Amino acid sequence: MCGICGCSDPTNQVTMTDMASGRTSLLRSGLAPEVPAGLSAAEAHAFAHAHGLPHDHAHDHDHDHGHDHGHDHHHDHDHAHPHPAAAPGLHGGTVALETAILAKNDAIAARNRGWFEGRGVLALNFVSSPGAGKTALLEATIRALAGQAEIAVIEGDQMTSNDAERIRAAGAAAIQINTGAGCHLEADMVAEAARALNPAPGTLLLIENVGNLVCPAMFDLGEAMKIAVISTTEGEDKPLKYPHMFRAVKIVIINKMDLAPHVGFDEAACRANIRAVNPGAEIICLSARTGQNLQAWLDRLLQLRAAI
Amino acid sequence: MHELGMARSIAAIVGEHARGRKVRGVRVAIGPRACIERQALAFCWDIVTEGTGLAGATLGFVEAEGETFTVKDYEIREDA
Repeated sequence: MCGICGCSDPTNQVTMTDMASGRTSLLRSGLAPEVPAGLSAAEAHAFAHAHGLPHDHAHDHDHDHGHDHGHDHHHDHDHAHPHPAAAPGLHGGTVALETAILAKNDAIAARNRGWFEGRGVLALNFVSSPGAGKTALLEATIRALAGQAEIAVIEGDQMTSNDAERIRAAGAAAIQINTGAGCHLEADMVAEAARALNPAPGTLLLIENVGNLVCPAMFDLGEAMKIAVISTTEGEDKPLKYPHMFRAVKIVIINKMDLAPHVGFDEAACRANIRAVNPGAEIICLSARTGQNLQAWLDRLLQLRAAI
Repeated sequence: MHELGMARSIAAIVGEHARGRKVRGVRVAIGPRACIERQALAFCWDIVTEGTGLAGATLGFVEAEGETFTVKDYEIREDA
């Protein structure tokens, strides 16, 4: 599974397309950023040259010292903690790190959050499986709130700018991010896209994550909240199958309610399943296609915006 | 699904810190809600460290709480 997915893989290429200008820029180059191990010095230098990596050029004088001394590297750390005893015969022993593996993403997300708050922008991160109707919901929202609210959209998909084109046709500014092999948006991609969109105060910044109920749960983008979209055609047990995601959201929208009678959707069971993993989640049932109960969602959205 | 990227992140964090010293093993702390599959992570670890300075370093797990996902510590090899 992980051999297929290349999320966070440095050799994966990520692009961003501004739908207003049609300009596509590279967020991550996809070139190998590290000199592979096992190369001779000359090969490593050639590699760094070829890949535009920072590297040193030797110059022709020497650094002889007239005396012997060791070049010990000593890295001080100024936090107190007990040093675990090294195993017998070890010179190095154990080095405590306690470093958060997602620290880099989390730091950028925190910066995004401050940026959104400072501007009075409400950022919402929409997550769902592919085909639940995220884009249809955003289209209906944009059309219904025309003249009432400024909306900008960041679209995340592995490939194509189809969704961003739909959003632009519905009447909102849109940026498409193509994650390549990646299965989710990350905070730095949203930072770049938000800068390009340059949203005015009061803007609803709707971020449509890559359709995936697994990985996007882990990656904070700096949003005010995550909102899950599920659809009646997916069955009632999605929240039980993907509890991490449903625990991470504040609102669950159940879409395609117009199809509920045709697919035998049990709304009460679905609500119970959502409550089982996330008792505090708000639930809104609607149909983005027919507009059924869309108003309840729009009211909630405007209420959230008024609170920022 | 994201374990390959996570394995790369762990290798980058430890590699940067160890600065060329030989590493015998790395331990990561994983909470039950971290959304990380250990087997997948261990599989990816071997792939991403192969042929690098971290080749042969073992990846161990430490139980943790909630969403914890951190590099806890690493051990330097005696011949370093």
